[in-house]
Amino acid sequence: MTYSDWLRADRLPHIYCAGCGNGTVINCTLNAVDRMGWKKEETVFVSGIGCSSRAPGYIVTDSLHTTHGRALAFATGIKMANPDLHVVVFTGDGDLAAIGGNHFIHSCRRNIDLTVVCMNNQIYGMTGGQGSPTTPRGALSTTTPYGSQEPAFDLCELATAAGANFVSRWTSYHVKELTRSIHQGLGVPGFSFIEALVQCPTNYGRRNKFRQVMDQVEYFKTHGILVQKAHRLRDEGLPIPPDAILLGDMVMRDRPAMGVKR
Amino acid sequence: MRLVIDERRCKGCNLCTLVCPYRIFSAGKQPNARGIVVPVLDRPERCANCRLQALYGRTLCGMCQMICPDQAISWVEEKPGEAQKVAIEF
Repeated sequence: MTYSDWLRADRLPHIYCAGCGNGTVINCTLNAVDRMGWKKEETVFVSGIGCSSRAPGYIVTDSLHTTHGRALAFATGIKMANPDLHVVVFTGDGDLAAIGGNHFIHSCRRNIDLTVVCMNNQIYGMTGGQGSPTTPRGALSTTTPYGSQEPAFDLCELATAAGANFVSRWTSYHVKELTRSIHQGLGVPGFSFIEALVQCPTNYGRRNKFRQVMDQVEYFKTHGILVQKAHRLRDEGLPIPPDAILLGDMVMRDRPAMGVKR
Repeated sequence: MRLVIDERRCKGCNLCTLVCPYRIFSAGKQPNARGIVVPVLDRPERCANCRLQALYGRTLCGMCQMICPDQAISWVEEKPGEAQKVAIEF
């Protein structure tokens, strides 16, 4: 079996813009799920509202497209009602960090056995490019036309502080590493959070000097540094570049988890 | 195995041209019937997965298929007896 068996071929091509990184993250997630050897009847994909949240519509398994920001609340319900199901949540940055922020930190605190894949495109892509809580400082959007003045959320730090069992961050350029991390997260009992930075050529890249799709992917490639390297630089007293994107597995621990398969 | 781009799914983002270690993909010039400029393949028989997938029994490399946001890249089995092109690199 390959990942393409999990896709609904009759629904493709999907509605994402040309070059949108969400499709890449779907490939990586389905590859990881396929590698786990799970049955399609025992896997559920849950999502909220947004570009990223259209992903379960292209997957053959049971899925739930829920209200804005409440994907984790619905996923908690599924997992509590039937702990034998494998629940994977697709969510975006506006869905998870903005309107669903409280659901996110409390799911991390309860440490429910879910795998959350957050496609962070650093903007509200679907509604027209408004600034989101993860828009970097200085980035242009339709609601921050002179550059965002607010510091951005670091979702991995947030999940770590709130108590998730597995936290990892990769980008849509690092497909092999992202697949490996999602595979590891699916196997971990407890809350696994994988943040995937994706390019949004239509609403983010176009306003922020990434005119071509490849420009933003090249940016991820050149500015991503491994978290181990960042720690080494810090220990040696060397400066970490201010625009560096820390990548890698941040946390792997064994806190008591809820809703683990009996 | 043969490397193919599904023209019904490709949206012409050219991300495959970024990742292929053999530089098999290059940006196309002519728009197809849907108005999309699909990348062109330069000697696809050089692809490691085309040559060695049957020998190893698993997908090798596969970066282009993984990064393709439109699930347009795949490998198809050749029909028995179909003429195969072989590339030798010095």
